[in-house]
Amino acid sequence: MRAFSLDRIMALLLVALLAACSSQPTEDTTAEDTTAATSTESEAVAPSVPVKPQTSSIPLTADNFANHPSNYDGTTDTKVIFFTFDNSAVPAAAFETLRAHANYLKGNSSAKVRLEGHADERGTREYNVALSERRAQSVEKFLRVQGVSASQIEVVSYGEEKPSAYGHDEMSWAKNRRVALNYTAGRP
Amino acid sequence: MKVKFFAAALFIQALLMQTAHAELLIELVGGRTDAVPIAVVPFQMTGSATGDSIDKIVAADLHRSGQFRPLPVEDMLSRPTRASEVNYRDFRVLGTDYLVVGNVEQMVDGTYKVSYELHDVPRGVKLLSETYQPSPAQMRDVAHAISDRIYEQLTGVPGAFSTRVVYVTHSRNATWPYQLQYADADGARVQTILKSREPIMSPSWSPDGKKIAYVSFEGDGLPGIYIHELATMQRKKVSSFSGINGAPDWSPNGQRLALTLSRDGNPEIYVMDIASGKVERKTTHYGIDTEPRWLPDGQSLVFTSSRGGGPQVYKLDLRDNSVRRVSFEGDYNARPAVTPDGRFLTYVHRRGGKFHIAVQDLKRGTFDIVTQTDMDESPSVAPNGSMIIYATQYGGAGVLEAVSIDGRIKVHLPSKEGEVREPAWSPFL
Repeated sequence: MRAFSLDRIMALLLVALLAACSSQPTEDTTAEDTTAATSTESEAVAPSVPVKPQTSSIPLTADNFANHPSNYDGTTDTKVIFFTFDNSAVPAAAFETLRAHANYLKGNSSAKVRLEGHADERGTREYNVALSERRAQSVEKFLRVQGVSASQIEVVSYGEEKPSAYGHDEMSWAKNRRVALNYTAGRP
Repeated sequence: MKVKFFAAALFIQALLMQTAHAELLIELVGGRTDAVPIAVVPFQMTGSATGDSIDKIVAADLHRSGQFRPLPVEDMLSRPTRASEVNYRDFRVLGTDYLVVGNVEQMVDGTYKVSYELHDVPRGVKLLSETYQPSPAQMRDVAHAISDRIYEQLTGVPGAFSTRVVYVTHSRNATWPYQLQYADADGARVQTILKSREPIMSPSWSPDGKKIAYVSFEGDGLPGIYIHELATMQRKKVSSFSGINGAPDWSPNGQRLALTLSRDGNPEIYVMDIASGKVERKTTHYGIDTEPRWLPDGQSLVFTSSRGGGPQVYKLDLRDNSVRRVSFEGDYNARPAVTPDGRFLTYVHRRGGKFHIAVQDLKRGTFDIVTQTDMDESPSVAPNGSMIIYATQYGGAGVLEAVSIDGRIKVHLPSKEGEVREPAWSPFL
């Protein structure tokens, strides 16, 4: 119970921090914004670029791994989404990244992505295949809600059979609870 | 604390025994103190006797069952090889209950004549006397056949030493990381029957022991269920629906497979008629339903379902597709297997974050945790119902162990092939 509530608090803190970071302009844009505010309305304003959150102050732990901003850069460069233990909900920190993938897929109708669901080693193998399918389906649902065509998405679940980390500890397990976005056509 | 110390002492003893029996591929890591003392005297060899030493294999088989304690050869006061040479007193003074003697003779055609006798030492009578005529390649088979006969004579239960196991190995840096292995029940004579770059899972024997069904993600990385005929190495893909194709289990009459498919978006239990390839859905629930296992009656299955929250074992009656919960202990019970008589159910049970093998007596309703290691999984029952083979982790690597149904005997199978997992014990062959 304690670990769970701690997890929740951590997740909320991360989301709050993420929000704080994105509303706070970087040094570059601050200068531009100031000019924009003091000049006439007709002057062009530089389009806002995605802001990478400052994450160095938050230590990366097994508990916050799935929701840690450093795991997601908000673009299609990020191809792995992580999940918390026994959970198939897409973490809030991954939303921006998945929106980027959705936009890419919508803009490139020939692109196809395979969503590969994985589980950590705890629990029985076929049950883990089923659990990891749920994770891949959550990502699928997210992309579909964004308007991606079903024909561009394929789901496959590997359970615990293809770990990316081979240790038998919390951090390895956190790295293995994941869905990989594997482009089988039209890779961004 | 006391229990731990006891286990450690037994393990050290097991290491000592391992060095004493170089041939013993399975170590006794926990045992009963009432194991029956038996003397397997080195067989007399005439002619150029080559190949495996029969007496050593028989002694190792009996030892591995946990029910017998073979007398070390160096402690024997005499080494008879036939009834006429037996002096029962030499074995009575050592407290030996049973005596096995034999001889191997090479014939002119290259075959061997293997004769053995089983004696009751306290009563001073011969219980068994048989002769085999194997080719050199069949010596190991004859040794296991002799072990089976002795085991059945003395326990009333058929021996399972002549059976096989299949299991999956994973060596992540190998060219073919995933392999399906086929070996004698004592771990000897390993043969690789499938190599793949993609995962192999859930091997299941046909009831005649001639075929294996399994899941392979070969080729396109998507799961398919294959049927693999051992004699011909012919393979056939029988299931490749969209989504999960998993957990095949062969029906007792050999005509059907129970399996898991998620083609309708959610993992459900199906039954396939192998000849026609037709599948029929048997469960309907938004939770996870998987890991089906036939009960011996061929009319019902047990399976894992999350319909009650966490995974639990349920029983499905195929006549009316009714489902009722079977496991109640704790919040995680999964991957059931059933003894051949249908009386005991074994499954993976989670307690305090650790995964153990549990045995539930369906007749009496009792529940026992029979393993103490942390990551135990994939229990599979010997065809004589005596032992459960399962996968666990030892020193961070996947290994196989076996435990008796009552949890009193445990043997450890050393691995040479990387991560070992998902053992499936064959039927009687």
